[in-house]
Amino acid sequence: MIKFRSKEFDLTLVIVALILSIIGILLIYSAKLHSDNLIERGIYIKQIIWVLLGLSACALTFFIPLRFYDIFSYVLYFLSLLTLVLILMIGSSKMGASRWISVGGFNVQPAEFAKIATIFALARYLAYSKRSIYSFRWLASVVGMALLPALLILKQPDLGTSLVFFAILISMLLWSGVPLFYLFLIISPVISLICGFHPLSWALFFLILIMLLYRLKPTFIFSMGFLLLNLAFGTITPLVWNKLHHYQQQRIIVFLDPGRDPLGAGYQIIQSKIAIGSGGLVGKGYLQGSQTKLAFLPHQHTDFVFSVLGEEFGLLGGIILLGLFTFLIIKGILIAQKTRNTFASNVAIGLIAIIGFQMMVNIGMTLGVMPVTGLPLPFVSYGGSSMLLSWMLLGILVAINSRWYEY
Amino acid sequence: MAEEIRHIKDSPDSHLSFSQSSLKKSLIGYIPREKRAKVLVGLLGVIIFMLIGRLLFLQVVRGTHYSRISEENRIRLLTLPASRGIVKDRNGQVIATNRPSYTVFLIPYEVLEAFAENSSKKSTVKSGDLSSLVGKLALCLKLDAHSLEEKIRSNLTKSYQPIKLKKDVDFNTICVIEEQNEDLPGVIYQVEPARKYLDASWVGHVLGYVNELTKEELSKGVTQKGFRLGGVIGRKGIEKQYDDMLRGKDGVTFLEVTARGKILGPLDERKPDPPVSGSDVRLTIDCDLQAVAESALTDYMSATVVALDPRNGEILTLVSKPGLDANLFAGAMSLKEWNEILENPLHPLLTRPIQATYPPASTLKLLTAAIALETKIANQNTYLSPCRGSFRFGRRTFRCWRPEGHGRLNLEDAIIQSCNVYFYQLGLKVGLERWSRYAQRCRFGQKTGIDIPDETIGLVPTLEYYHERYGKGEWVKNLIINLAIGQGEILVTPLQLALFFSGLATDGKLFKPYLLKEVVAHDGRVTYTQPEEIGHLPFSSSTLKVLQEAMTGVVNDPHGTGVLAKIPDMVVAGKTGTAQNPHGEDHAWFVGYAPASDPQIVVVVLIENIGHGGTFAAPVAKKIIEKYLIKDLAQSQKDNNLEFGSH
Repeated sequence: MIKFRSKEFDLTLVIVALILSIIGILLIYSAKLHSDNLIERGIYIKQIIWVLLGLSACALTFFIPLRFYDIFSYVLYFLSLLTLVLILMIGSSKMGASRWISVGGFNVQPAEFAKIATIFALARYLAYSKRSIYSFRWLASVVGMALLPALLILKQPDLGTSLVFFAILISMLLWSGVPLFYLFLIISPVISLICGFHPLSWALFFLILIMLLYRLKPTFIFSMGFLLLNLAFGTITPLVWNKLHHYQQQRIIVFLDPGRDPLGAGYQIIQSKIAIGSGGLVGKGYLQGSQTKLAFLPHQHTDFVFSVLGEEFGLLGGIILLGLFTFLIIKGILIAQKTRNTFASNVAIGLIAIIGFQMMVNIGMTLGVMPVTGLPLPFVSYGGSSMLLSWMLLGILVAINSRWYEY
Repeated sequence: MAEEIRHIKDSPDSHLSFSQSSLKKSLIGYIPREKRAKVLVGLLGVIIFMLIGRLLFLQVVRGTHYSRISEENRIRLLTLPASRGIVKDRNGQVIATNRPSYTVFLIPYEVLEAFAENSSKKSTVKSGDLSSLVGKLALCLKLDAHSLEEKIRSNLTKSYQPIKLKKDVDFNTICVIEEQNEDLPGVIYQVEPARKYLDASWVGHVLGYVNELTKEELSKGVTQKGFRLGGVIGRKGIEKQYDDMLRGKDGVTFLEVTARGKILGPLDERKPDPPVSGSDVRLTIDCDLQAVAESALTDYMSATVVALDPRNGEILTLVSKPGLDANLFAGAMSLKEWNEILENPLHPLLTRPIQATYPPASTLKLLTAAIALETKIANQNTYLSPCRGSFRFGRRTFRCWRPEGHGRLNLEDAIIQSCNVYFYQLGLKVGLERWSRYAQRCRFGQKTGIDIPDETIGLVPTLEYYHERYGKGEWVKNLIINLAIGQGEILVTPLQLALFFSGLATDGKLFKPYLLKEVVAHDGRVTYTQPEEIGHLPFSSSTLKVLQEAMTGVVNDPHGTGVLAKIPDMVVAGKTGTAQNPHGEDHAWFVGYAPASDPQIVVVVLIENIGHGGTFAAPVAKKIIEKYLIKDLAQSQKDNNLEFGSH
C-alpha cells in the first residue's frame, strides 16, 4: 500500500497545470476556428482528449512508487536508447525529420520519453556514484549519459529536443554541487561551436578560456581535455555547418536575420512578431486576432501557440502565462530542495529543467529572440506526446512532493 | 545526508586551501545545497525578465507599428477603375469612348485543388495534368505553351494570388473560356475599361492616345495624382493635354483576405470609395469635315489640313497625313509595329499642322503687301517695274514662277497672279528689319497657344538672326528678296498660317485656336470654353480691305492662281503658294476662306512634294469649304423652314 500524509498532497501544481492546459485548448480552438478544413477546426477536441489522457497519466505516475524508478532507471534508460536507435531505422518521416512512431493510430515521439528516462538514469548515477565530482571520469560519464540520447535525437534530426538534454544535464550537475567553473567548462565547447562562425571572436573566447584554466588550475587532465575539445569544436564548426540539414541551416540563418527571407523561412518569425506586437497591452480579444483568424502564421496551434495568446490577450495575457510557468518552476525547485531522498530531488530538478527550458525556447522563439527549433510549449501546445509527457512529469513531481520525507 | 558527506570527504582540500579570493572559491568551490536553489531561481528570474522585457518591447514600444502591419496584412485594396471621359466632336459624334477589356488570370490554389481531386495524393500536381491545362490555355489565348507553363509553374504555390496570363483578350476568347469552364480549373477573367477610338487615322494626331504608366512615372512621386500600377496616362494630343480632366478618380474597395490571398469579402469597418468618372469632353472638331478632308487627301502621302472658325478660333479640322491609329497605340503594340512607325521616312508621329514647319511661300506675299500698304510704301494701284520672268539684283537673278513674265502689274494684280518679280521689288522697299518686325507682330515665330501639347514655333529671321548666322556685315541685303515671297529662312507651321489668315479675312482680330469646346463633369456641370482674343494684326481695316479684295480675286479672277477653289454659289477667297523644296517636288499651299464677305471658315491645305499650290491644294480646300458651308446653308434653311412652319 502506498502511504502518504494527506496534508502533503498538494493540488496546486495540478491546478496550475490544468489552467495552462485549458488556456492551450482555448488558444487552439481560436487558431483553427477559421480553417477551411473541418477536421482541423475540430482539433481542439483532440487536445481535450489528450489533456484527459494526460491527467490519467499524471495519476498513474503519481501512484508508482519512487523506488520503482530508482531501481529500473538504467533499464528504462537503455530501453529508450533502443527505441531511439529503432526509430532512426524505421520511423516515419514528417517534414524532413523522422521523429514519430505510430502506436495504435497515434503518433508518438519516443524522444519525449527518452527525456524522462535520461533524468532517472542521471539522477541515480549522481545520487549513488562514489566518485569525486572533481574527477574527470565522473564528469565524463555523466556528460556521456546525457549526450548519448541527445546525439541520437540530433540525428533524427531534432535540434531542439537534443538541446533539452543539455539543459537537463547542466541543471542536474548544478544541483549535485558541481562548481560553476566546471559547468562553464562543459558549456564551453558549445560556445566554441557558435563562436566558430566568427574566427576572431572564437580566438578571443579561447584566450579567455586559457586564462581561466591558468588562474583556477583544475587538474591537468581537465585543462588539456577541455582545451582540446574547444579547439576541436571551434575549428570544425564550418564542417558541422555543412553537415546540418538545409532546414536547420535556414533556421539558424533566419534566426540571425529574419528580414533576409521574409516570405520563406523568415516568414514565421516575422508573422509571429506581428501577431504578438499587434496585440498591444490587452490584446484584440478572444477569437478576434486577425493574424490568427486569417492564417498568416503556420503551426499556430503547435509551436507558435504563444503568438495566439499574445495577439488576443496582449501583454496582460503573456504576463499571466509567464506567471503560471514561474509558479510551476519555483514550486518544483522548492520541492527538490525539501526532498530528503537525493535521487528524488535530482529527478525533480531534471523535470523542472524540461519545463523551464522548453518554455524559454518556445516563447523566445515566438518573440524572435530564440531560433525556431520546434520545441512545444509544455501543457499548452497542441500535441499528444508533449501533453502526455508534461502530465507524466507533473505526476512524478507531485509524487515526490507528497513523499518528500522519505529517504 | 549521505551525498553531502561524500562530497566533503572526496573534495580535494588543495582546491579549497590554495584559493585566496572568494570569487575563485565561488567559481571552483562546491556549491552548498541552499545556494543551488538560489542560483536556479536567479536563472529563472533572468529568463522571465528577458521574456517580459521582449514582450514589452514588441507590444508596447513597437505596438502601433505591428498593429499597422497587421492591418495591412489582412486588408487588400481593390481598385475600382474610373472610366475615362468620353470625347465627342462638335456635333456629338463619339470619337473616344471606353470598351470592356478582359484580362485572364489563373488562381493557383484552385488548380491544385482540382488536380488533387483527380489524383489521390494531395497538393502534388502530376505534370501531365498541368501540361494538358497549359496546352488548352495556350491554344485559347494564342500564347507560347512553353513560356506559359514556365510562368505558371514558377508561381504554382498554394495561394489565391492570381497569376496574370494575358491582357486585353478579345471577347470571343472569353466566350470560349466560359464554355470550357469545367476543363479550365482556376481560370478567371476580369473586366476593366479600356480606351476605344473612332476608327480614323486622324484620331491619333488630334486626340493622341493613352497607354500604361511606366515604372519611372509611378515612382516619380506622382501618386498624389491618383496614379496606380496598370493605370493609363494620355500620351499625345487631347488625351495628354486634358489628362487630369479625363482621367477621373479611381475608387477602391477594402477586402479582407487570408494569408493565402483568399478573399473573404468586403471589410465591414471601411466603406468602399466609389470611382469618379472622368469628365466628358466635346471638341470643336467636326468629324464629317475631317472625313471630307481625309478623303480629299487620299491620293497624297503626306499632307495636312487645318480649318478654323476665324470668328472665335475654334478648330474645325485638323488632319495630318500619314495618320496615326490611336487604337493601335492604346492596345498592345508589338515592337515590330513600333519600329515600323519609327523608321517610316514620312514621320507618322509628326503632327504636321502644329509640329512641322515649312516655308510659307507665296501665301506670305500678303504679309509683304500688308506692310507696304500699312507703311504707305505702296497702295492698291502702285505699279513697279514690269515682270519679264526674272529679276536681277546685284549679280544674282531671281526668277518668277511664270517664265514668260506677268508684264506690268499693280499690287492687287500682283497678288492675284502671284507675281514674284513685283514682290521682290516691294520687299526691297520694305526692308528686312521692318519686314521681320511685322512678321513677329503677326505672331509668326511663336506658339499659337492651341490646346494640344508640343507645338513648334517656326522661325522668323531677323537682323540678329543673320548677324549670328553669318556674322555682322557678312550677309547680303538680297535676303529680303526671297523672304518677301515667303522663301528663304522663314518657317511657319500650317496653324500659324491659318491664324494669320483668319486675321486677314476678318477685321484683324486674332483668336487663340482651340479644340476643347465644352466639358461635362461627372455631376453634369457644363463648362464652355470662351474664345480668347490674343491680339490684332498690326494693320488697319483699309489695308485689310485691299488684301481681302485681292484674295477674292485670287479665286474668282480669271487670271487668279486659285481658281480651282471656286464654288458656284459662294465667294471664296484665298491665296496659293508653292514652296520650293530642295529635296524634291515643291510643297503645295492653299489658304482659303469663305464666304468672302463674312468669313466663317479659314482652311489651310499643305501637300508635300507635289507641285503647284493652285493645282493640288486649292481643290482640297474647295471640298472642305463646300462641305462646311453648304451643309451650314442646308442647316440654316432647315431652321428657317421650321421657323416658318411655326408661324
